[in-house]
Amino acid sequence: MIQNYFKIAWRNLWKNKTFSLINMMGLALGMSCSLLIMLWVQDEFKIDAFHAQGKQLYKVYERQYHDGKVEARNNTPALMADEMKKTLPEVQNACSVDYNYRQTFEVGEKTVKMEGIYAGVDFFNMFTYPILQGDAGEALKGPNSIAISRNMALIFFGSPEKAIGKTVRYENKTDLSVSAVFEDVSKFASKKFDYALNWDLYIEENPWGKDWGNNSVSTYLQVRSDAQVANLNAKIENFIDAYVKEQTPGFKIKLSLQPFEEGYLHNNFKEGKIDGGRIEYVRIFSVVAIFILLIASINFMNLATARSAKRAKEIGIRKVVGAMRATLMGQFVGEAVLLTSLSIVVALLLVFVILPAFNTMTGKQLALPVGQPRFWLAVTGLTLFTSLIAGSYPAFFLSSFNPIGVLKGSLKIDSTTVFLRKGLVVFQFALSIILIVGMIAINRQVDFIQHTNLGYDRENLIYIPLEGDLSKNYPILKDELLKTGAIKDVSLISQEPISIGNSTGSLLWTGKDPNVNIQFTYAAVNYDFVKTMNLKFIDGRDFSKDFITDSVGFILNETALQRIGYKNPIDQPLKMWQKQGKIIGVLKDFHFSSLHDPINPLIIYLKEKFNEGNILVRTEKGKSKEALASLEKVCKELNPKFPFTYKFADDEYNKLYKSEQTVSSLSGSFSFLAIFISCLGLFGLAAFTAEQRIKEIGIRKVLGASVSDVVAMLSKGFLKLVFVAALIAFPIAWWLTSKWLQDFAYRIDVGWQVFALAGFLALLIALLTVSFQAVKAALANPVKSLRTE
Amino acid sequence: MIKISDLEKIYRTEEVETIALNKLSFEVKDGEFVAVMGPSGCGKSTLLNIVGLLDDPDSGSFMFNGIEVAHFNERKRADLRKHNIGFVFQSFNLIDELTVFENVELPLIYTGVKSDDRKKRVEAVLDKMQIMHRRNHFPQQLSGGQQQRVAVARAVVNNPKLILADEPTGNLDSSNGNEVMALLTDLNEQGTTIIMVTHSEHDARYSHRIIRMLDGQTVTENILK
Repeated sequence: MIQNYFKIAWRNLWKNKTFSLINMMGLALGMSCSLLIMLWVQDEFKIDAFHAQGKQLYKVYERQYHDGKVEARNNTPALMADEMKKTLPEVQNACSVDYNYRQTFEVGEKTVKMEGIYAGVDFFNMFTYPILQGDAGEALKGPNSIAISRNMALIFFGSPEKAIGKTVRYENKTDLSVSAVFEDVSKFASKKFDYALNWDLYIEENPWGKDWGNNSVSTYLQVRSDAQVANLNAKIENFIDAYVKEQTPGFKIKLSLQPFEEGYLHNNFKEGKIDGGRIEYVRIFSVVAIFILLIASINFMNLATARSAKRAKEIGIRKVVGAMRATLMGQFVGEAVLLTSLSIVVALLLVFVILPAFNTMTGKQLALPVGQPRFWLAVTGLTLFTSLIAGSYPAFFLSSFNPIGVLKGSLKIDSTTVFLRKGLVVFQFALSIILIVGMIAINRQVDFIQHTNLGYDRENLIYIPLEGDLSKNYPILKDELLKTGAIKDVSLISQEPISIGNSTGSLLWTGKDPNVNIQFTYAAVNYDFVKTMNLKFIDGRDFSKDFITDSVGFILNETALQRIGYKNPIDQPLKMWQKQGKIIGVLKDFHFSSLHDPINPLIIYLKEKFNEGNILVRTEKGKSKEALASLEKVCKELNPKFPFTYKFADDEYNKLYKSEQTVSSLSGSFSFLAIFISCLGLFGLAAFTAEQRIKEIGIRKVLGASVSDVVAMLSKGFLKLVFVAALIAFPIAWWLTSKWLQDFAYRIDVGWQVFALAGFLALLIALLTVSFQAVKAALANPVKSLRTE
Repeated sequence: MIKISDLEKIYRTEEVETIALNKLSFEVKDGEFVAVMGPSGCGKSTLLNIVGLLDDPDSGSFMFNGIEVAHFNERKRADLRKHNIGFVFQSFNLIDELTVFENVELPLIYTGVKSDDRKKRVEAVLDKMQIMHRRNHFPQQLSGGQQQRVAVARAVVNNPKLILADEPTGNLDSSNGNEVMALLTDLNEQGTTIIMVTHSEHDARYSHRIIRMLDGQTVTENILK
């Protein structure tokens, strides 16, 4: 029996090549899309989930209540981890970590910049970074120890064995001893690093870390396996009160725990609570995968039921010779399984071909895990799932035919079936239109991000880290650079100019309400900062060597001025920490951090001597090549012990929105696919309708209908469906896009134009698809179609 | 074999009510060859469908081999049908996607006959119908007469006790038609009961008895043999 089914299924596929091809293409595209998303989602869930003690690991985050609002952040005091381990019995291990360092190391003749972290002594005991040489507990003990990766050991010493106990010169100032070599950090780690420096060194280099009032680093706890996490969570809520005395009713800090393994996907805070983050993209794309699979399955359903008349006789005969309904349903589901199985083979090939491009797009290193039985289980699952969705309705529908009716040739498709078929087309196009609107909105937002006026000129702006002898030689460097002709201005800033993040509540002014604590973002700069960044003053002036008092002068942004409330700000008093001075200028607001966040109040003060920070270089338009060449030359001369590195401000800015750009290109591809697969189905349906109405078309033509009349007649019905789909899709799409855009403090308006464009695109594509068949039918010679009757 | 009494079948649509069978009663004995005649719409086909267990009556009794089957459910009807009844249609009703062999094999598949046995039985019946040489052809590659012989082969492959033929020669020229009638007569002589609906007086003369119908009732019966 199975053989018989298989035979007839195969012959049916072969006989109706166009329909089979349409179905297979749709299903293969839909399933390859699902497979890619499945791989991506699976990969996302693996990130940071590889630590053996992962279930016991927690991250401490802070909630700051001030200004009538609550803000949560991962930044915590640098002494907190050790203190928690000492005082909380539930805590087995604890460590502070600070990420994203890029520092210079030297062994013999070799000088290389590596990426690394600072971490507390328990770090390697808590997290699973396998130790190849040395001891996990000793790796970060003492300020002169450093743990390095296999990669770093190979670079400097040739092997992990040779590296242990050797000396590495760090930032050309200290000699460190290699205390441990660890395995290269897994690709499933959200933070990559090639070395770990110990926490004593961190505190030594960052004296502010001794003050509990400053928050900058991450704190992780390993909770004892028998401890109640809920109790611990309650216990630490006010932990910080004993250490930060300057809390007032207007400024309060509370602590909470987040399971470490959740930290990567649930990485967003909203009103002090963990809310969304990357998990939203995981959810969105999972839904998109199901959408696209549904769209492809609907093609199968619609084409199968539309063509039911052709199968009707066979069904009738089978019933007459003794087939039961259940047997027939089995047969039709079997056909769906056959077609889906063929499609999954194509899909796997497609995935194999697309994967490199997909990896580039998503920044992942996904591969088809063909060696894993679980993968094949998933593939089989996907095939069966798709076959069932696609095949169950046709099976149910076709097997219901009454044999007498169909053998007499009087098959009547009732209106419910036709309505359902139309409904499915509407559903398909509604999904496609939602995806198109989403794509346009995301594209516009990303475009907006890339082209919005930030208030400073991020083009032709380079910055290089202030390291080694550069800080001592800065005045010479500046003079040399300005002489080259390719460089316009040079200045210094304590942080990265595109994301200034440090903040303080210790700002005092005349008339300040003592119960209100406002967090001000701050940055230290050198002369010519405003000029180099191309910022605009609305009042006052830049720091100048002509005024000695500028060493205690402040420049604010508009938002800061608003919060302070001075009417005539220039020369008004301001006190930050021990610095008592005056306001000398007010800058027009500019974006100094992500567009996700509103512009915060900003205070800029003058610093003459920098130990660390960035040198800002404004190059002449079109001369960045010459500028870079001279920069490199001058840096090598003045700072020979350090490799020359630089960053372009616009590149770094774009990196802030990497995930949005990924989403933008992915959503573009997926919505294209969705509409393409929908149109495949529409193409098939249109062909079927044209075939079904061939006699009617013949008669109409004999009676005088023109080609355009016939095309209009055939297309109208389909376009109506797309129109209805658009009406259903618009409110849903509007709601979804608005929700996504809410995460941006600065965003586009999803105006009616976006919807108009999406609707117009869908209609146009549908029209092109349908009219191809309609024109073909309309051009056919009516004599032929009438004679066959 | 078949005893029908007071059989009623009414087709209803929203506007019209059509009485297809009106208190119809008749009997067919084992081994009989009965022709049913009458104008279009007289209820012949409805009768054949009910006798063939493809449709059920609204009221009345239908005894098949002494069992009341008028209100059998679909499963029971299908089961009874596949073991006892063979069909021959005017338009042959072969499955275009299956070869001659596979078409004839189909009823055996649904009655669960083993593959080896199936092969033997199909070959035997194809041989008997003299279309063995066409066993791997598809229906469209055959003439009308050949197609109907395949259909007859399919109807008899399961050795049914009853063959229902709905205008079996309606789509054939006279020589092919006569061949098919000869085949049916042959089967009848070997003991198969046959009920045949026909418009053709010529074909009806092959039968033992002609039942003439009008407006859902039998009006006359001519006994020929």
